[in-house]
Amino acid sequence: MLGFIFSPDRRWEAPATNLRLLMTKAYPTEQYARIWFSLGTLLVLAGLSLAAWRAAPRTTYRKLAGKFTGYGAAVIVVGLLAPFSAGATLAYLAVGAVPLVGGLMTLRLLDNHDERDMSTLLVSVLVVAAGLVVLWTVPLGQHTFVKGTAYARPGTVALTTKLPLSVMLGVMVAAFYVGSFVRERFKSLKAALALLWLLSPFILTMIVLRDPAFDSAHLISTDIPIGLAFGIGGGLLLWLLTSAKAGEAGRAVSVLLLVAALASFLTPMRMVVRIDALMLAALALGAATFAGSLESRLRYIGGWIGVLAIVNWIITATNTPSTVFGMPTGTFFGGGLTLTLMLTSFTVIFAFPIGILMALARTSKMPIFRVMSTAYIEAIRGIPLITVFMFFAIMLPLLLPDGMSVAQVPSIVIGYTLFSAAYLAENVRGGLQSVNRGQHEAAEALGMSTAQKTLLITLPQALRVSIPPLVGQAIGTFKESSLVLIVGLFDLLFIARNVIPNTSDFLGTSRENLLVASVIYWIGSYSMSKASQRVERKVGLGER
Amino acid sequence: MTDSSPEIRDLSHAKDMIVCDGVNKWYGDFQALKDVTATVKEREVVVVLGPSGSGKSTWIRCINRLEVHQKGVIIVDGVELSSDVRNIEKIRSEVGMVFQQFNLFPHLTVMDNITLAPKWVRKMPRVEAEDKAMALLERVGIPEQADKFPGQMSGGQQQRVAIARALAMEPRIMLFDEPTSALDPEMIKEVLDVMIGLAESGMTMMVVTHEMGFAKEVADRIIFMEDGELVEVGTPEHFFTNPTEDRTKLFLSQIL
Repeated sequence: MLGFIFSPDRRWEAPATNLRLLMTKAYPTEQYARIWFSLGTLLVLAGLSLAAWRAAPRTTYRKLAGKFTGYGAAVIVVGLLAPFSAGATLAYLAVGAVPLVGGLMTLRLLDNHDERDMSTLLVSVLVVAAGLVVLWTVPLGQHTFVKGTAYARPGTVALTTKLPLSVMLGVMVAAFYVGSFVRERFKSLKAALALLWLLSPFILTMIVLRDPAFDSAHLISTDIPIGLAFGIGGGLLLWLLTSAKAGEAGRAVSVLLLVAALASFLTPMRMVVRIDALMLAALALGAATFAGSLESRLRYIGGWIGVLAIVNWIITATNTPSTVFGMPTGTFFGGGLTLTLMLTSFTVIFAFPIGILMALARTSKMPIFRVMSTAYIEAIRGIPLITVFMFFAIMLPLLLPDGMSVAQVPSIVIGYTLFSAAYLAENVRGGLQSVNRGQHEAAEALGMSTAQKTLLITLPQALRVSIPPLVGQAIGTFKESSLVLIVGLFDLLFIARNVIPNTSDFLGTSRENLLVASVIYWIGSYSMSKASQRVERKVGLGER
Repeated sequence: MTDSSPEIRDLSHAKDMIVCDGVNKWYGDFQALKDVTATVKEREVVVVLGPSGSGKSTWIRCINRLEVHQKGVIIVDGVELSSDVRNIEKIRSEVGMVFQQFNLFPHLTVMDNITLAPKWVRKMPRVEAEDKAMALLERVGIPEQADKFPGQMSGGQQQRVAIARALAMEPRIMLFDEPTSALDPEMIKEVLDVMIGLAESGMTMMVVTHEMGFAKEVADRIIFMEDGELVEVGTPEHFFTNPTEDRTKLFLSQIL
């Protein structure tokens, strides 16, 4: 492995020079500020979040010294194992010896019970600063001293990369400080951050994707009237159905509505109408459970309008030419890591509520919900992901009625969401089943309604238990998004394997690029895994 | 009111809180309750005894409809149990229940455990609910535990929190389903003391238990069940000193 990495035949400048290609595919250079802005936003959020959820604010000198010793030892091991010339090996040994000896000396000086510490904040800032100093001063590039040949291909990092990067890292550190400062004073910081994280994919996509003239005429003539009609009509219907007098007639109306909604898929009609009708039917079926006080009826109708607004916004964004996703099919120019991240974040965000609803439906007492969700889950789980991608990329546009089109990326996101939701539902169902029967009984004995019991008692406990499998699934979603190369989308892996090695300057460098791509995937997966461990500790999983 | 010798309370004019008339329940072919007929008066403490599998728990679980009976009538505080959802929720918020396994909500603190139902079911403002919860925690003797999670407490403390949680709904009836059976012996007393205090305050209580001392001291009436039937009903004095039924005598000879 080390022999491979340090061989003079390796051309590490291939992934290095083409970093932009790996990250964003052929994103127009003059628009690159948008990418930097998005990255900056994410880093600010990350800095604030690190401050808000900081677990161990201080670290002892002993721990730090131990880490330094470890890093030094690692450099020395690399120096000894890699096929270097004697001089290069010595150089590595020398570089490794400094932290190793320094760390060991410090450990000796401090006795075993030394409790002196410094804030991890300061350590991180120092590390970031050291990184920036290296970025600006050291002639980065490929320097290798393999036996017999001295080999050096110095390269500098372009100013257009290192300047914004430095600024961004500075901003992140600043955000961290601001976060630590605000943490004590602003109680709902965590809730606000969680909301911002949730919204960030939508906002950043809008920023990253070019947004030519917005088609407001279509919005005013079609989308808004449909939304209003469903909002008002559906609201009235639910008002009637949640009244105590609805009874069996109400249930019959709901079933009729469901049949009509399903039938609408057989006739040419706008997708919005079909989906809205389907949602209304589902809510109508559940209406009897929410019958009762004026307040709970109004809240149920409020819920309907909220769901309707979000879903219609998504459908509009997906469908209308020239809105955020507005590239006509096939001309989506984003790619690389950006595309991978977009697919992952949208899929996870959309699949999560759908998956939870599916899991609840599958464990519901109402047979119609149970049968529908079981059928859905089993059907999806019987299909390979590649097939889902192919269906949504190639078949879906053909099946859509005339005059309606879905761009390729959103249609892939829809498919991927429906696919993940089925698996997610099973993970959540596992959690739901792990909730003790006694918990249901205790909630019922206190007079809670089914909805209160589910939202306050069952679901929180089920989700807590499901954190490890759910994060596992998010990691899977991140990595498996590379399968979109099968339908010709240029994600990170595809660019590393097929695009860069085919450019005239870097022919046959696929191995280097693949290694870099796998490191990027690893960083992504590992940070999710770390975050999950943190959340698990926070909710005390396995402790109480 | 003294807490020694059981006081003979005249409850004949008190209002009927729980009326069971010919209640039958089957699990498949197995008949768990056979024509159970009994009345519990307001402020009365009724202890239900019997060997395991005799249907005691099933019966009191039918009273707040955690189990559904198939035949007969159960009337709680003037409301007949039927399959109407709101009817059930009304009764459940009038009837507090304490379980053998405590069934506290492990993801919530003690305070949240107690205030959750008042806030969501009774729509009580948060501050009021928390003040009340603190008062209840003082009543059960553990006000300092308010911010702990159930998993960090002993069984006896958990069961006392469970009692406080049920009381927070201001129930008119409390049902206890073997509240001390899952506790270590040294913790049983602290829970029983809370229950005794509750009985003295005039709460209508139905208690399924194996604690004979509690039954002797606190019960107004003891009901002995076996095989889903009410075998013998009487005052503690009658029950422990002069039982009429052979099955009662056999049961008492086995446990005393």
